Amino acid sequence: MKLVLDRITVARDEWHCHADGTLHPGIHLVTGRVGSGKTTLARIISGVLNPSSGKIIREGISSSMLCQQFPEYHVTGATVAKEAESYGVAAEKAMEIAGLSGLGEEDPFRLSRGELRRFQIACLELRDWDLIVFDEPFSALDCQEKQRVSRRISLLSSRIVIVFTHEQRYLPRTDFLWEMRDGVLQFLGTVPQALPYWETAPGHVRMLLENGIIPANLTEEDLREGLCRMQG
Amino acid sequence: MIIVRDLAFRTLLVPELIIPPGTSALVGPNGSGKTTFLQILAGILKPEKCSVQIHGKSPVECRIGFMNEYPDRNMLFSRVSDEIASSLRFSCSPCGEISRGVELALESAGILHLKNRRIHTLSGGEMALVALLAVTIHSPEVLLLDEFDSHLDDRAVDAAEQIIRASGAVTVLRCTQNMDVASHSKTMIALFSGRIRATGSPSDVFSALSGTCFVPFGWRD
Repeated sequence: MKLVLDRITVARDEWHCHADGTLHPGIHLVTGRVGSGKTTLARIISGVLNPSSGKIIREGISSSMLCQQFPEYHVTGATVAKEAESYGVAAEKAMEIAGLSGLGEEDPFRLSRGELRRFQIACLELRDWDLIVFDEPFSALDCQEKQRVSRRISLLSSRIVIVFTHEQRYLPRTDFLWEMRDGVLQFLGTVPQALPYWETAPGHVRMLLENGIIPANLTEEDLREGLCRMQG
Repeated sequence: MIIVRDLAFRTLLVPELIIPPGTSALVGPNGSGKTTFLQILAGILKPEKCSVQIHGKSPVECRIGFMNEYPDRNMLFSRVSDEIASSLRFSCSPCGEISRGVELALESAGILHLKNRRIHTLSGGEMALVALLAVTIHSPEVLLLDEFDSHLDDRAVDAAEQIIRASGAVTVLRCTQNMDVASHSKTMIALFSGRIRATGSPSDVFSALSGTCFVPFGWRD
């Protein structure tokens, strides 16, 4: 199973972005500045937007899902239960995972934004997708939920999972690191070897690297272990 | 200064809370009532009996900049410059003043290149910055910002902080899930399950939240 981005370009007025590369199963982390094209690329990879040129080749990928940056964009059901059904999953189970049991008859927009995000990710993980594209999955989540979601994303590494994020602290166990630089998607390498080359690395990772410490990976445990090593 | 008294609404129960002037951060788990609380302070929700005094006035008598946690729910117009100009236009400011103000605001935020962009083509982070400029351009006395930073990277958070400082607002209350951002506030308010769990300086609040993930790395023992 692999996903090939074959000389993808997107041009819009004066703005453009390019992507070229092959993605194998595992957790791919893509970072980049605000407005660098992360969301555009996430949409192209998941097939909801066509590139200006180039093509996406999906080998052995029979199902894919996009988890959009704004959870409210996903809502099609009038109630929380109907919303779960629209994903083709059991409403009770999704509500249980999201910690929202008993709210099946609520309007999804009565949930807080963080609860809606949590619920949407729960619906998504109840089905087997070969390719999952998460666009800023951690935004609007509190720290407990960020921890929980990053752990659950780490468990999906047998599929191709692409996480576009600017999250600084709670990241999944990452296999491959990518970065949007000046409108071009760059493959930095595998983690942890690629970490020193990461321009948009979170503050804590940068601090460790500046002190000569390369954490084993990017999970909270890895960063905490790195900080302990730094403090001797 | 904001003074809230006798607040009992939905899951919120706040007998009394005094928020001093300066920058405060409102933190707490998803669903703890932060958004409802901000909406009450803004006068969008008006529970019976509850009293809210902002700088000695009721919310409707105050010039408040309120930013919704859903970035595109802040947007009334389809073009960036129209959106940022909206509050100045609604208050009938002179046209020349408005266009200069909009230009200056965009430039100071480093996003002058977005001036003529259609709102729906903006990224989440860009939309958040535009929303922030739109609520700060009319020199609000109070800024109430709901998850203003959840779509921003660290560099954009710095730009946002600068916009907030430049707004001249006397009292700023922002809700955030980034505890490093919260730690730079003068005052923090921790809201858990509709109740104030702790309030005071960041060190007071972080020590009250000790042992939870709400305490950032740099503040742990």
